[in-house]
Amino acid sequence: MILLEAGQRNERSFESKLLFAAMLADRGHRVAIDEESLPERPDRSQKYDAVPFLADLSDVEPDTVLILGAHDISNETLARLRTLDLPDAVPVVALGTFPTHQAEVGTRTRLAYALGREPRLVDVPATIGADLPVAGICPLAAPERDLAGPPAHTPELFLFLPAEWLDEPHVLPFLAVLDNVPDFHLSVVMPGVAKDRLKRTRYATLNVFGYSELGPAALARRADIVAIFGDGIPGERMAAFAIDLMSSGGAVIDCTTGGALEASGAPVIRGPEELAALPTFMEFSVIPNLSAIGHASRESPWIVGRRISRLEEAAGLVTPERQRLPAAQGERRFVFLPTNGSGLGHAQRCSLIAGELAPADDVLFMAFPSCVPLVQHRGFPCMPLVQKTVDHPEEFANDLVNYVRLRRTLKRGDHLVFDGGYVFDSIYRAIHESGCSATWIRRGLWRPGQVADAPIERERAFGTVLVPEEAFPELNVDYSRGAHVRRVGPIVQPPPSIDRETVRARLAKSFGVAFDRLVVTMLGGGVAADRSAQVQAISGLLEPRSDCLHVVVVWPHSMIAPGLTGWRNTRLVRTRASLSLAGAADLVISAVGYNTFHELLYNRIPTIFIPQVASYLDDQERRARAASDRGAAETVLAHELLLLERRIEDLLDGGGTETLRSKLEQLDLPETGNRSAAILIEKEAAR
Amino acid sequence: MGPRPTIAYVLEPRFPGGTSAAVARELPVVAPFARIEVHGITSGMFPGRPPAGVLLGALEDLGMKLHVDAPRIAADRVVVHNPSFLKFDGALRTRIVARDLIVVTHENFLRPGGQESHDVAHCLDLIDRATLALRKRLAPVSPHNRETVETWLAEHPSHAHWQLLEEDWINICDFPLVPPSPAPRDRRGRHSRPGFEKFPAPREMDLCFPPHAEANVILGADLLDSLARERPHWQALPFQASDLGGYFGKIDFMAYFTARTFRESFGRVLAEGIAAGKVVISDPQTASVFGDAVIAARPEDVDGIVAAFVAAPERYAAQVRKGQALLARFSAESFLKRQARIFSPVPEGGT
Repeated sequence: MILLEAGQRNERSFESKLLFAAMLADRGHRVAIDEESLPERPDRSQKYDAVPFLADLSDVEPDTVLILGAHDISNETLARLRTLDLPDAVPVVALGTFPTHQAEVGTRTRLAYALGREPRLVDVPATIGADLPVAGICPLAAPERDLAGPPAHTPELFLFLPAEWLDEPHVLPFLAVLDNVPDFHLSVVMPGVAKDRLKRTRYATLNVFGYSELGPAALARRADIVAIFGDGIPGERMAAFAIDLMSSGGAVIDCTTGGALEASGAPVIRGPEELAALPTFMEFSVIPNLSAIGHASRESPWIVGRRISRLEEAAGLVTPERQRLPAAQGERRFVFLPTNGSGLGHAQRCSLIAGELAPADDVLFMAFPSCVPLVQHRGFPCMPLVQKTVDHPEEFANDLVNYVRLRRTLKRGDHLVFDGGYVFDSIYRAIHESGCSATWIRRGLWRPGQVADAPIERERAFGTVLVPEEAFPELNVDYSRGAHVRRVGPIVQPPPSIDRETVRARLAKSFGVAFDRLVVTMLGGGVAADRSAQVQAISGLLEPRSDCLHVVVVWPHSMIAPGLTGWRNTRLVRTRASLSLAGAADLVISAVGYNTFHELLYNRIPTIFIPQVASYLDDQERRARAASDRGAAETVLAHELLLLERRIEDLLDGGGTETLRSKLEQLDLPETGNRSAAILIEKEAAR
Repeated sequence: MGPRPTIAYVLEPRFPGGTSAAVARELPVVAPFARIEVHGITSGMFPGRPPAGVLLGALEDLGMKLHVDAPRIAADRVVVHNPSFLKFDGALRTRIVARDLIVVTHENFLRPGGQESHDVAHCLDLIDRATLALRKRLAPVSPHNRETVETWLAEHPSHAHWQLLEEDWINICDFPLVPPSPAPRDRRGRHSRPGFEKFPAPREMDLCFPPHAEANVILGADLLDSLARERPHWQALPFQASDLGGYFGKIDFMAYFTARTFRESFGRVLAEGIAAGKVVISDPQTASVFGDAVIAARPEDVDGIVAAFVAAPERYAAQVRKGQALLARFSAESFLKRQARIFSPVPEGGT
């Protein structure tokens, strides 16, 4: 493992360390950064950038120590190195800029005094060419990329714009124009504050990346062309992005005032300094010649001379075998990542789709602890993720851990299938950084307030957005459009293999009760809403009915109010096979999550729906009413306890269940989408 | 007998350690026999730092003035002390005209292992270009220092015009002699400037200054914060936080080891310890300048050496007295005898 240090222990040096750590990790090196060098108040991006590398040095046994910016090394860093008391076998390599013999001797001597042995010095400009005119100490080496070749798709154009350009009234309207040029897809990179500002305008649909939202390599992987505007090279990150893109055979257009990049000798195309001139320049000068530009950039002496392998060789680093090689044919892995809502719906839906993939497909799940048993029960291996809790020091602390797990798990060539409403930073970053392809299963029926906040902008990380339809057409709404958004029929669990009478007989036997009527209540485990009052009311209502068995079904590990055990004919069942129980029931009283709703509907089971309401849930009431408006179910709101009592009596005593069953039989439901979802995922993965 | 020679001393007056101390002691010894000027050169080495107090004190005692950045220095002899101060400078703007130019190499040219300690050629070249002199000579301060200069010259034939003095230009160490303690205890200490080079590896510091010692006084521990925090048995004091008398009052043994990548060119602090009536322990190479006056040892030997002397106070006293007697090699008289051998004719009134 390489311990990465910097001459100075300040925020700027820390940024440079993060950048170089990512470059080394990209080459397959394992890298550690002293957690004590973390700035006092790191921002969110810095935390994500840093977390894969931060280490308590008492737990680390480095095989090499690399020091960036060693020409300007502080006593603080020297003291830290001395404290480590490194074994003599661990080389200490000082990377820096040594324009004079004294600069070299001075650095060597200072380090030798602090370490008690000689360091190895690497003059970065002498090794990979002159520094670019940007602040920072990260050696801006060129990664060694596979030749991307001319893009098979519409080229992705990235623009870097300085924050102050938003003050110009013509800029945003012009970006909107660029966003509609068919010759390329536009993305804008700008400082985070500027992005936030832009997202509050009516141009919020522009695809914008914050300056440090993704690493340079991830940006370069997405981009085919970058055009850099402003007064100079906008920092180390953008310089690294540009160099990465040149190495990948992309085109870098220098639109800076005075041509700062071009002046450095980099193989860039000098472009217009005016944004308005860009479309014409792109149309006539860049896009027709993109392949030739990319080839010339990649093979230019400037890029060849900057290759990171030169730096590795000078530093004595053994280049590990690349860990992120493209998977060979047949080694492709499908990694399903269902988020967990109030129930297990996402995990259940993913497992149903995964079950429809070709048998030869390698499937791995990554899921939150509450979902792990379900996934494993369905026969899939599952790596646990960390659940968000109030005990964490900040809201995304769990996501940082999940990010590290995702980074270690995902490899280029994998296909990630995410099912959830919010694309966490961990997922968004891991997709970009690993270079894997991805599908987003995004169920619809958001409540009105959710639509505006929905992170649709992260949709671009996914090649396909699969939208499982609702059974009733009025419930299907498109939140985004495009060829990548594909609707599939409702994802529904197949009918249980066990028949109704067998289930009833087993219940009678295991509870030691005889019954004619079976009522099953499935109102959840209390995560989204406390339904103990409703369950108690139903239990009380059914208590006098000696011919009735009332079964309350919850997922294993759900929390249940203790008062439930006092009823004579109410029993609690913890099971994942709720559909078998519901199928055996005369009446089901249920919440209206997507999976349960469609299972009850497709299996023609008479149901009273009690919608759950929570800010993060979909619009369960609309879903329930779509069924009850067709006479195929009853809808009772949670507070309508008297109405609930009447409906139960009507259905059980007035023949209402038969009426519902008859209506259900008459419904013309769309074909389920389990198989078609699996086919689309396989196609996306094979692209 | 001719007139007293004129001697111009040239140095960076802000050197905080041995160089300034050595020159400060040398001036009153030489002053009776020569007309002396002291020239300070403001280099890029110590920005913002004032001149060393010990040097200013010596000048005040002699009623002399510190000339700063004079455009021209002319004297029979010009003695440049410690040329390494020019390592960050692009030019020496002062013109020097002398019959005899002596460059006293207070800093070793090479470190253990053979690496240069600074850009020697650059510093010498700046002086060379700025000086018109009949002879240009390098003056080592100790046998080890001489060895590094000789080796460097052999490796740099382009600098063969620099002659090497046969006589060492010693530091004068005529400190007041303090009698040894009649009842030495396991009280250990060391003092130095706070540079990393002055300290051995943490594990070697632990061998020299263990928890079972009655006292461990480390003067000049400015850079040892994190180590000292974890070692409550150390009394870690910043450089110049205590006068030397107060510090020596707290210890009976001085255990002085440095980084393996550094070696003292002379080791003035060892002489201070001997004169202060302490048993001084150091690595064999550093100890060799002072012969048997310093116990040559490894850090792992320190415990045993201390225990043996504590158990035998008479041996302790004998060792200190022997050491103090040997310090006569570095007396003012000895210095003047060496000067007499270096310069011919000898300074007027010299012995």
